[in-house]
Amino acid sequence: MAHVVTPLDQPSNYKDSQSRVDRQRQNDLLSKSTTLYIGNLSFYTTEEQIYELFTKCGSPDDGGGIKRIIMGLDRNTRTPCGFCFVEYYTHAEALASMRYVSGTKLDERIIRCDLDLGYKEGRQFGRGKSGGQVRDEHRQDYDPGRGGWGAQAQRLEIERRREVEERYADAQEGPGAVAGGGGDWKEAEGVQAEGKKRGRSPEDEGDNTRMVRTRLDEDIEAERM
Amino acid sequence: MSYERRGGGNRRRHRDDYDDRRRDSYETPDDKLKIAIIKLGEVDPVEELPRLQKQIRDLVPVNVANISEAFRIGVTEQPYKIPYYAALLRLLHDRPEGEVDSEGPSLGRQVLEDFWKGFQAYLDKLAWRETRLCIHFFAHLTVAHLISPESLFALLQAFTAVLDEFGVSHGRAKRAAMCAAEGLMIGGPTLKLHSSSGVADIMNAIQAFNDTTISAKWLVQPIIKIFSDVVKIENGDELLDTMLYALETLNDSDFAQTATSFPQPYASYIDPDPSITPFNIPSVLVPPEIIELDGLSTDSEEEAQVKKDEWPEYFLRLFDNEVTPDPNTPAGYAVRSALLDTLDIFEVNRKECARLLLEYPKWNLPGTFKPKPGAPVDIEPAPGKDWQLESTIIETIIGALLILPESSHKSVYYISLITELCKLSPSTVGPAVGKSIRKLYGSLSEGLDVEAARRFAEWFAVHMSNFGFQWVWKEWVPDLALTVQHPRRAFMRRALEFEIRLSYHDRILKTLPEAMQAPDAFTIAEQAPGPNFEYDDPASPHHDAAQSVLNLFRGRAKADDVISHLDSLKTTLETSDEGHINVDAIVRSIAVQSLLHIGSRSFSHLLNAIERYLPLLRNLASGGASSTGGSGNAEAKAGILTEAAAFWKLNRQMVGIVFDKLMQYQIVDPTDVVTWTFINGSTVGQPSELAGPLSLSAFEWDLMRGALDKANGRVMIARRKVAALRKEDDDTRARAKARANDNPMEVDADAKPEEETPVVDNPALTTALKAFTSLTREQKAALSRTLEGFVSSLAPAATDSNPNPHSRTVITEQGWNNRANWGKDEWNAWETWGWYRQFCRAYSPYLRSYSTTLTTVSFARFQGSIDPAAELLQKTFNVAIGQDV
Repeated sequence: MAHVVTPLDQPSNYKDSQSRVDRQRQNDLLSKSTTLYIGNLSFYTTEEQIYELFTKCGSPDDGGGIKRIIMGLDRNTRTPCGFCFVEYYTHAEALASMRYVSGTKLDERIIRCDLDLGYKEGRQFGRGKSGGQVRDEHRQDYDPGRGGWGAQAQRLEIERRREVEERYADAQEGPGAVAGGGGDWKEAEGVQAEGKKRGRSPEDEGDNTRMVRTRLDEDIEAERM
Repeated sequence: MSYERRGGGNRRRHRDDYDDRRRDSYETPDDKLKIAIIKLGEVDPVEELPRLQKQIRDLVPVNVANISEAFRIGVTEQPYKIPYYAALLRLLHDRPEGEVDSEGPSLGRQVLEDFWKGFQAYLDKLAWRETRLCIHFFAHLTVAHLISPESLFALLQAFTAVLDEFGVSHGRAKRAAMCAAEGLMIGGPTLKLHSSSGVADIMNAIQAFNDTTISAKWLVQPIIKIFSDVVKIENGDELLDTMLYALETLNDSDFAQTATSFPQPYASYIDPDPSITPFNIPSVLVPPEIIELDGLSTDSEEEAQVKKDEWPEYFLRLFDNEVTPDPNTPAGYAVRSALLDTLDIFEVNRKECARLLLEYPKWNLPGTFKPKPGAPVDIEPAPGKDWQLESTIIETIIGALLILPESSHKSVYYISLITELCKLSPSTVGPAVGKSIRKLYGSLSEGLDVEAARRFAEWFAVHMSNFGFQWVWKEWVPDLALTVQHPRRAFMRRALEFEIRLSYHDRILKTLPEAMQAPDAFTIAEQAPGPNFEYDDPASPHHDAAQSVLNLFRGRAKADDVISHLDSLKTTLETSDEGHINVDAIVRSIAVQSLLHIGSRSFSHLLNAIERYLPLLRNLASGGASSTGGSGNAEAKAGILTEAAAFWKLNRQMVGIVFDKLMQYQIVDPTDVVTWTFINGSTVGQPSELAGPLSLSAFEWDLMRGALDKANGRVMIARRKVAALRKEDDDTRARAKARANDNPMEVDADAKPEEETPVVDNPALTTALKAFTSLTREQKAALSRTLEGFVSSLAPAATDSNPNPHSRTVITEQGWNNRANWGKDEWNAWETWGWYRQFCRAYSPYLRSYSTTLTTVSFARFQGSIDPAAELLQKTFNVAIGQDV
């Protein structure tokens, strides 16, 4: 249904400017995408606030939910710089966010959502010269929610700022720095059955858990590809 | 492709409207005509009709298919314009002056015949809304003498026939009844002249169906009186009821009110040339519903059904009949159904939806709504109308938002739509929203259903988050005198908790009057939500042990090393002075809390901590060395949940998130969460003043719903996987077979087709089926555990631990009437009953699938019992699974 109005959940002209995939392939990816780019966030907005709003578009009874949130960080200071990625388990949830959440307020700012090709290693960092987002390089206005234009911060936000500045000081780069969020349910009993060939003693437990672990860790890695 | 134009000046664009999403390039003359038809009435539909008619005729050669497609789009996507499309089609039936060749059907007739084919296609797909809106169109055309009344009768009867189908679902019957009833409302003036007994037959058929829905109505009323079987409520109406009342009123006056309820722009035209024979709608049959049989039964009971049940729809009334129309009247029904259709159709674009809702009066009869403030008053208000547009719109949206057991779209859609309306016209919509909030708040003490109350709190918080958290809390200060678990006080607490989640504690605290800020007001949390690491204090026992574990985590020690460290810690504790205490529990507590501490900075930190130490968590879940392996040890898993809840006791949002991810990473199962919640949920993050005997409030319900949805969602995924693999298999076989058939060497391929395709399933499918079986078992266990939890909370035996003594008093009429004197235990018990109702109606398809087992396990003990609680438990369950009659 969309002859009379344009649906809000169509991909916009937003794109990852550094993506190397061609337009056709990008469109294919977007038509299945479970990831959203969220922009115009306050630097002080936490992942939990984002979770609270975006979980309203989740469909857990359909196998969905929020898989993970990746906070966009200033490359140099490791502090939030006003964007993030929200990844769901299903495409329908990402579309619902486009229709119902994009253009509404979070933490008293109107946020925008765009379908994204999917998180890739390194994309959590700002690409501006000074480490933050490019748009904040050129911004002329005073925006307290995005660091103002100097060190002035509103009184109430001083405490929040301190927490924010410390929160991601431990942020890592490289493979495995960002959690996967947990994949599909997997049968665990298969492993156990193999272990039952002889009588089990407590000592066996270690081996078994290690087998399970390797398998699941591989899965997590595979997801990151 | 969209026909919406940018610019035009009549529509406000916001800076966040960054929708440069389409670039239509070249438009053919046919495209242009189609757009012109779809955009009929941008300024004044009646004025535009003759011009548009000419434009249609002027484009030669005539492309009937193009014109009728434009009509179909117009009718099914802009239902408020249907009367004007009927008028346009009426004009197209006239022979243009000076036309030489008057042979053959008129253009209007050709378009109508082609339009009908489109209708048949909608019906074949069971596209109910489109089908119903086409019937509106046909009904108008009948009044305009372009369609024969007998053929419209036959069409409507095809829909009432659905109501008599054996085992018809509520959803199908409801939609069919709406098709017949709305067709009758609009076409009534002509139909009744033709056959008044035919009209009565249609109404009787709908009435007869409606009579069968009484017990279902009992379960989904938004204002509940648990003790009563009466389904008529004050301040609310059920959809089919309103439809029947409106029809009765219309019929009593021989449909004279149709003309004052639905615009009939064609009525002023002279009757068409009598030589034109009206179109006879060909007879149709409503096709049966397609039931997908994927044959995935897992045990002796029927397979878990996926399709959600549909229920009677109650809409709350928030305003008086002078302010907003009474939907039990013809005009009121017409307004509400038009607004509901708009909500539904424009769900894809809430901004456009908001604009169209505010423009709605233009499409209804003049004088229906009060003019906009400041607009020239040149129209007399229609008698008995003159309603407030914004209140009507908000009332309808809130009604749709609070439909039980769930709204047809996600609740955040309705919430965002109200936000857009407020942005478009703050001075008129704002007050309507404020009044609605007060009205709903007031109904909290009159039995507003607990799920409706939860959605109300959710709407309130998100709405306030969009409008600077400006609410005049002061007016509710007197309610602080109510008992602490009174629904109004529970609402305030919940709304504030939700607001804090979207914002932060200090910000929300600032918005409250002093009386509500006080800790002993139990309205807002005393401190900002943060972690609560029990071993942080150097004076606390095991502080040093916890520090050692914490240091391992901080140093990113390997999981195995942490496990061996914990083993040695255990040994130390066992040999210490207090050897009799539960050492396993202490070690688990230290490990879980320390891990959560490492992951407490953010949701991502939590995920990283869990993923890095999955082996450790699995080890803990299996009860350490005393493991039974496999799905872990129930006591150990409950212990993990307890520690998580203790660590995040000041932040209940995080409790929900941690539980969700512990299930996601398969550390605990949904059943563990359900069990844990019934026993421990009400102690989380609440001052002890709020705690009480075994009961369930909205927070615990959210935890439980999270667990049930996880279990059901997994079955859903597994089911899809199996279906996809089966299809893949079938395709592979078909291809192999086709190849064999194509191969000329295998002449006798056809002779032995069966042997050609070995029935060995592929291993992926075997695995998927096995997973499906495990997950269905877990689903059944989670549902069973939930039912058990409710049974033991609501009909406790005297010997049960911590029974609520009031679970039986609150369900009596006397008890309810005495609610002004209820204390927190009574309200807790009442709320628990409310969640039980929600559990039964929201999960009814699943409960039905497993009903044999569930009733045996949970209800067998009540055999011959006269305990009213036991009876109500069973009655509610039976109504939910449709076995009460």
